[in-house]
Amino acid sequence: MTSGTIALAIGIMMGLCVFGTAIGQGMVASKTMESMARQPEVAGKLQTAMILAMALQEALTIYGLLIAFMLIGKV
Amino acid sequence: MEEASALFTVGPVEISAVTLSSWVIIALLALLSWLATRNLKDVPGPLQCAAEMAVEGIENFIAGTLGKEKARKYFPIFATFFIFIIVSNYSGILPGAGQITGFAVPTACLSVTAALGLIAFGTTHTLGIRERGLGHYLKSFLKPFALMLPLTLIEQLIRPLSLALRLYGNMYGEETVTHELYNIFPILLPLVMNVLSLLFCMIQAMVFTLLLAIYVEEATAEEE
Repeated sequence: MTSGTIALAIGIMMGLCVFGTAIGQGMVASKTMESMARQPEVAGKLQTAMILAMALQEALTIYGLLIAFMLIGKV
Repeated sequence: MEEASALFTVGPVEISAVTLSSWVIIALLALLSWLATRNLKDVPGPLQCAAEMAVEGIENFIAGTLGKEKARKYFPIFATFFIFIIVSNYSGILPGAGQITGFAVPTACLSVTAALGLIAFGTTHTLGIRERGLGHYLKSFLKPFALMLPLTLIEQLIRPLSLALRLYGNMYGEETVTHELYNIFPILLPLVMNVLSLLFCMIQAMVFTLLLAIYVEEATAEEE
């Protein structure tokens, strides 16, 4: 019973974790591309900034992944 | 995938696949750079040419954040991190890399990335103190106002953790997905993930170096 619940929890948690980051990264990417289309001369700088912003968001998902690994040990 | 288990022991020290692989990578990189810089010429040969391109590329990349002068000064640190991480990441997509016993991608192991994160942490603060002096550096934690001190400290401590976890999570996740795809259908299917890996490995190495550059820039910034 408990191990089933934990497994379910891992699934739900990873889903939610990825959900937020996906929305955030999508927003970053769409805005960056908009700006690149408007000002192609700063495309290089924007790309670096975009990758950085995405990496910072990604860290949040990876915290979730870490918790998932910890929970998997208890299943 | 069994990373933590020991392959063989040297005295009391257990040598695992990860340790062995990172040693091999370090040795190969050292050999390659020795070969590339053994006799430098005005008209470079192919190897020297490649090395020059790499050095110039990395320097321009860091200079975008740190500025030309500091980028030149601290180039070795960033280049070391970047080259080691990128070579380790790419070592996972060598043909048959998953099947060789005694080989594991170093950056897909939390111990290695944690070590990298700790070195990055040490580097940031050492450079900060060296550039600004201990007193000034410590004072910079009290800005913009002293009440922020706990938050600033927590942020500083989280940084190596997040650097380590980001790299580990990405590389381990990638390795696991490739492995699972291989288990589902060993022919051509893992290739899908490998193509994505070509991109992700590069980006992860870039992100690590870029974040470190930003931290160093923040720690060594001139005071107004």
